[in-house]
Amino acid sequence: MAWLPSADPARPPFEAWLSHRPELRDLYKRFYGAIWDEELLPRNLVELCRIRIAQIHGCAAELAVRDSASAVTAVQVAELDDWGHATHFSPVERAVLTIAEKMPWSHHEITDAEYAEVREHLTEPQTVALTVALALFDANCRLRLVFDLDPSAARAAASASGPLH
Amino acid sequence: MSTTPRVSSAIPGQPAHFGSVMAQEPRLLSRFGELYATFWSKGVVDHRTKEVARLRNARVTDCGF
Repeated sequence: MAWLPSADPARPPFEAWLSHRPELRDLYKRFYGAIWDEELLPRNLVELCRIRIAQIHGCAAELAVRDSASAVTAVQVAELDDWGHATHFSPVERAVLTIAEKMPWSHHEITDAEYAEVREHLTEPQTVALTVALALFDANCRLRLVFDLDPSAARAAASASGPLH
Repeated sequence: MSTTPRVSSAIPGQPAHFGSVMAQEPRLLSRFGELYATFWSKGVVDHRTKEVARLRNARVTDCGF
């Protein structure tokens, strides 16, 4: 049960909590939404990383959300918590998941070789976008967990123009 | 931790730092700038408290930058 009261019950829980500071909420949505709206990266890569980071955090509120516009398959989601031994992930997916895996608790252990592997598949702007996305997914989980926000299942295309689930 | 930048500066003549690396993706840099500037320039928490929290967070995460 969230210990902070909702500032706008008509909005999804995460956005309702951010609504205590409406100006920051809207700017945060624009920033977060750019990851999805601007096609900075293949959408399935972004969604795989988001879900994996939520798994690492054990963040039920983040895991209750799915980006309906991504191409992540049910099989991939089922195998994501053991992706290193799974067979349904491409080389680029493995490269980005390697970085995502370390972002929450062991970011100092990310190696130059692991980033070099990412750069085999992504441009420099995409690499920057990926790293920002991973940091935001990590931050979102921390915010949801610290404020003990209740899970609220949602399946929608992530976008700055829609609700932040 | 790496001792050399993993992503290069997008600003000619400048070394790789937070802003010049973020400039590799201007759409993210501009939106981050809007958010971060508003966070610091407006709000209900005083600057001193924000800065203490920022510095402590940097130490906890061992971020020398």
